[in-house]
Amino acid sequence: MDLDANRSLIATALARIPGGDRAALQTVYRLTSAKLFGVALRILGERSEAEDVVQEVYLTVWRKAEQFDAGRASPMTWLIAIARNRAIDRLRATRSSRHMEPIDSAAEIADGADPADSMLEKSEDSARLYGCLDGLAVHERNALRGAFFDGNTYDDLAARMNVPLGTMKSWVRRAMIKLKSCLET
Amino acid sequence: MSDTADHSGLPADELLAAEYALGVLAGAERAAAEQRIAREGVFAAMVAEWEARLSPWATGIAPVPPPPQLWDNIAAALPAHAAPASSGWWQSLAFWRGLSLASGALAAACIGVLIYRGNVPEHPPLMASIDGGGHRHFVATVDLARGSIAVAPAAFAADATRVPELWLIPADGRPRPLGLLRADGGVVITIPQALRPFATRDAVLAVSLEPSGGSPTGQPTGPVIATGKLTNL
Repeated sequence: MDLDANRSLIATALARIPGGDRAALQTVYRLTSAKLFGVALRILGERSEAEDVVQEVYLTVWRKAEQFDAGRASPMTWLIAIARNRAIDRLRATRSSRHMEPIDSAAEIADGADPADSMLEKSEDSARLYGCLDGLAVHERNALRGAFFDGNTYDDLAARMNVPLGTMKSWVRRAMIKLKSCLET
Repeated sequence: MSDTADHSGLPADELLAAEYALGVLAGAERAAAEQRIAREGVFAAMVAEWEARLSPWATGIAPVPPPPQLWDNIAAALPAHAAPASSGWWQSLAFWRGLSLASGALAAACIGVLIYRGNVPEHPPLMASIDGGGHRHFVATVDLARGSIAVAPAAFAADATRVPELWLIPADGRPRPLGLLRADGGVVITIPQALRPFATRDAVLAVSLEPSGGSPTGQPTGPVIATGKLTNL
């Protein structure tokens, strides 16, 4: 589906939810649930937990839809942030991360990106982000990836990459500073 | 190595927003960031900007269709009646509008109580009409001499799975839990000593829907369905 058309369908449906329109929520669900389930499943690693989280996400969307401002944010950005945060909350509440295999600081990890089949893909935003991520050092990129895709905490990342906690914080913060500066130019 | 932001380039708040959006925080740090998002518009906007910067990375996650019954579960869990209440209520226009309406709605009830009591008491009680969605849900009276608050249901409709919880929100905007309410009768809650100085005119009472037993976090976790401002008789 055409990206802009999809974005506008989702945004229009979100705008109808605060009036109590269940069909609008169902439209949002139909257009976005596979992506959000994928996100929750990636972080949690278990289907039943990801299902619980996705259910919570759409109940949150039902309650909070009026806070979504289509003029300021992309609907997928808003929804993905809710899904990631709910999944991370679940992870933190139940146990440590599922993804704790060691990460080699020097070796690139594939993130399995498949830009052809996402609602965010191939946008200018995504091209720019991937360009800026390429500009980071490998260990910085790997640390951010562990946090973003695996739901790792600073402690998890320090363990996986076998560096002191302070070093890990420093890596991540430095990487975020570089990322912001690159995205703004 | 130091834990603090040792790189010039981004203020500490912005780094915290970035760390929250990335998801590396845990425990108290994550909870503290969430509270700031709820209360501080500027900080919430920084987090939203970082979410927007990072979310295109989710391109790297393949969509997976959820099982077909998941929508049915969601539809079944939606509230049976009424429009949803906003969780960002302290930032919402409707909330502030509701406050001014609530103050007006009090007059009749106040007069009734004055007549009933037959005099003006030494510690004039505070009252609030706790309204939401155009309905008065509860009426609350604070007895400052006893340090208690009596809350009677008006048009509150019970929810099958969640219980109404009462919150006191003084001028600092932070909700303090007072206790659980009932749909089928009045309750009298003793206000904890530490909270009594906050139970003053213009403090706000709010009711949220919480899991059985009340909010597990000490902050409202469910929708806030009604609010009302304490007013002197």
